[in-house]
Amino acid sequence: MAAAAPAAEVRPRAATAPGPSRLVTALLVLPAGLWYLFLLVLPIAIVLLFSVGNRGETGGYAGGFTLDNYQGAFRNSGPFVTSLYLAIAGTLLCLLIGLPLAYFIATRGGRRKTLFIILLVVPFWTSFLIRTYAWLILLGRDGLAGVGVDLTGNDAFRLLGTDAAVLLGLTYGYLPLMVFPLYVTLERMDRTLVEASKDLGAGRWATFRQVTLPIALPGLITGSILVFIPMMGEYVVPQILGYGQTFTIGSALVLRFLEFRDWPAGSAMAVGLIFIMFVTITFYLWFTNRGRRGREQSVV
Amino acid sequence: MSAPAVPIPAQQTMRGRAKQGVDHTAGLVEAWLRAHTLLVYAFLYVPIIVVVVYSFNGTNQRVMHWEGFSLRWYEFVAQNNEVQRYLWNSVVVGLGTAIISTTVGTMAALGLQRVPRFIRMPFDALTYVSVIVPELVIALATLVFFASTIGRDGILTNATGITLGFGYHTIIGALSLFNISLTLLLVRARLSGMDRTHVEASYDLYATPIRTFWQITLPQLLPAIVAGFLLSFTFAFDDYLITTFVNGQGTSTLPLYVFGQIKRGVNPSTNVIATLMLLVTLTLLIGGQWLLGRYARRSGGRAGLGQGGVAEIVAEGGT
Amino acid sequence: MADQGIGEHLQHIGETRVSRRGFLAASGFTAMSAYLAACGGGGSAPALFMYNWADYVDLDNIAEFKKRFNISDANFTYDTYPSNEELFAKLQGGATGQYDICCPTAEWTPALVEEGFLEKIDWSKVPNAKYINPQFKGLWWDPNDEYQLPKDWGTTGISMRTKVVTEDVRTWKDFFDIAPKYSGRIVIVDSPGDVFTAPLKALGYSLNSVVPEELEQARELLMGLAPHVLALNSDTYEEPMKTEEAVLGLTWTGGIDELISDPSTADTKYVIPEDGTLYWMDTWVILKGAPHLEMAHNWLNFIHEPEIQARETETNAYATPNDEAKKYIDPAILADTTIFVPQEVVDSGLLEAAKDVSLDPLRQEIWEQFKSSIGG
Repeated sequence: MAAAAPAAEVRPRAATAPGPSRLVTALLVLPAGLWYLFLLVLPIAIVLLFSVGNRGETGGYAGGFTLDNYQGAFRNSGPFVTSLYLAIAGTLLCLLIGLPLAYFIATRGGRRKTLFIILLVVPFWTSFLIRTYAWLILLGRDGLAGVGVDLTGNDAFRLLGTDAAVLLGLTYGYLPLMVFPLYVTLERMDRTLVEASKDLGAGRWATFRQVTLPIALPGLITGSILVFIPMMGEYVVPQILGYGQTFTIGSALVLRFLEFRDWPAGSAMAVGLIFIMFVTITFYLWFTNRGRRGREQSVV
Repeated sequence: MSAPAVPIPAQQTMRGRAKQGVDHTAGLVEAWLRAHTLLVYAFLYVPIIVVVVYSFNGTNQRVMHWEGFSLRWYEFVAQNNEVQRYLWNSVVVGLGTAIISTTVGTMAALGLQRVPRFIRMPFDALTYVSVIVPELVIALATLVFFASTIGRDGILTNATGITLGFGYHTIIGALSLFNISLTLLLVRARLSGMDRTHVEASYDLYATPIRTFWQITLPQLLPAIVAGFLLSFTFAFDDYLITTFVNGQGTSTLPLYVFGQIKRGVNPSTNVIATLMLLVTLTLLIGGQWLLGRYARRSGGRAGLGQGGVAEIVAEGGT
Repeated sequence: MADQGIGEHLQHIGETRVSRRGFLAASGFTAMSAYLAACGGGGSAPALFMYNWADYVDLDNIAEFKKRFNISDANFTYDTYPSNEELFAKLQGGATGQYDICCPTAEWTPALVEEGFLEKIDWSKVPNAKYINPQFKGLWWDPNDEYQLPKDWGTTGISMRTKVVTEDVRTWKDFFDIAPKYSGRIVIVDSPGDVFTAPLKALGYSLNSVVPEELEQARELLMGLAPHVLALNSDTYEEPMKTEEAVLGLTWTGGIDELISDPSTADTKYVIPEDGTLYWMDTWVILKGAPHLEMAHNWLNFIHEPEIQARETETNAYATPNDEAKKYIDPAILADTTIFVPQEVVDSGLLEAAKDVSLDPLRQEIWEQFKSSIGG
């Protein structure tokens, strides 16, 4: 296959676009396609099937066809709104904290760039639960909250069990997911563009807005999606650091599947959530991509 | 290759006065960037310091009760086969998932550049769906899928007589889904806007697609691939929900052990393991960096190679 | 950016790539062999696959068991789950036939039996079951004693820091009465069955009630309590109690007994409410399709050998149902009333067994409403 290509390429280049053959392209995409088929499409089909089914006597799925589950799923919008608020706030925090960091590593990191990047992720090789417990200690009465009680004289002062603690925990856990995509795009940035921009008298902010930001945009979009979406489904951090005071859509899902053992109800809620998020993301991508020249395909 | 710390001297610009203003803020911005980075790393590592300190907790059972310094939990981990098995399983799952996800994801990202729209769009949709599905839901659904195909009473089991059952393969298979999408997105973010002139030049010079890929495209993609590998390993190593539902007998990982301890009180053994892992990784990283630096320097400073190690090579990829 | 530089730079990448290939191969082989090793235990060699809460069996007992029955380390696996709900979901999802022994909380036994997840126990192979106190036999959970062998048991009650909570709290009614005073400093276990106990008992009803009128009255009490609750926490509720972030709780004894014995928090008190409360029991069961049925029975018999069982109690700090074992338990532990409920309390009928009523729609609705309203 590879041997035949150069001979073809000697002809006018415009006729055949250079690059791997159709077969190779297909082979490249095939494994991922298979994964999506067997481990995404089929499981989701199962979820869809459950969502229109009946709950068994002792829970689980018991066949049948009904739309009752969908009716029940959207009766209460409280958890969804709570999740939305947490996810938006958390994503913004990740962005505010992550963008300067990614920029610094990408442009000032020098030959230690990869070291910096790996060091970002090493903390997450400790276990999630003990990391969160460490925050419980740091934010509890033996830590910062104790200081707070002394300072304010208020016996009921606490840091845990507040939205702030939850946002802190969320931002902490999802920061790499924002930083990595940003880094990956910023690192590619040709610094001569920035220098040229300054040579031509553009101020720092103008350079950032017109040179750096557009280049970082694909990373920014990917990062915000990778952070926002999982945050919507979060329930463990709200449960531990938030003392369970914030009831999210994730909590509602767990409640249905595990405590109520109502797989059909949980499935209907999940399908609804997936659908809403999918529409939101599609709109978000369309909105952020419509300004781009699209020299090649969009980042989608 | 980094931007100069001090901008070009005023005399080289057209608007001297304006440049003077920028001179001042340049220093401030640099200082702020540095401080910000330092603070973020501090933020990331303070809990880790707590984790390490509490690995020396002499408590009987619950890690959060500090009861004096002791190495007892280090002894515990050294003698406890189960805990060592959990660590081993986590490493296997982490590496397996990272390798598969990075490979499949990168391949897909490359291939997707050239597929027709009617294939690319559903693919993109599925990529986002795989990120959107709540983890509990995909965990349970995948469990049902596996159980009905390769489980004890599964379709495939009954048809072929071979029970694949649950084990490393189901965990790695299930975890790879999200991580393939993750790597896919990272590599595509990197690919978008990538300079194609080198690629086209390569073809003009009659290089085969493979050669072009190896020498031009891949080096430029390396940061994204490495990023995908690191994240995939991290997520697979520390995953709880999917792993707990699709794992098999004997393949419990560390997260399952830790979460399972909640009822009785989480003991410091996980802190010990975390500390040991940190020790190993940080030693490898910093030691490796230093060693590679020495090797490169000793081999002479060839033009363009510099004194960095793999880090610099990766960082320089493409420029 | 000289050509020479790129060439050598890429050559260098080629070199590192080779080593990465080698690493890939090595890890592939290692993974394969580890996998095969893990699978190897299912053959005819003596083995036992346990599925349990973490650290719920004394390690010395496990070592003893392995030695006595000649089980190698690789063939004794201990996989963990953190809650009954996850155990059940996993079995319901189809992961049956993988484990031999399991240890759910007894109120789940009927559901497990109904779904066909359990094997009947062959009592002829478990002679040590004779040591179990009769009060634990013929229970609602397993009326014919076919499926479960009790492991340990305990109660749900009121815990408090008497340093701060100076009232004489004896009943659930008292609990609800003083709650507003300690607003924001109350912890409650995240378990509907246990939480419903408080209002239902305070009102004089059965804690397993599914009568709508009774549940509605319970709802009122619960919703009145909700704003004052600090946390719904089944796992680390003793933490806020220790630091006085919380001073009142609807809890189990795990963790509380440690606070009581610790001098700095010795003012902690655990009360079994006089208007009645719940008692729970954890029980050994054999899972359907167990790969090592014989060995599973060996385990059941082994774990209730009096001295073995005594060691269990001392490690886990929960009461044992095994009367013979009590002879070998440290008297200090036997005297601890949070662990070993005094006989007169047991006889008084104050304790009601928890039934699995979590599927009742009204209970579910009230629970979700309560859960989403806690805190200020």
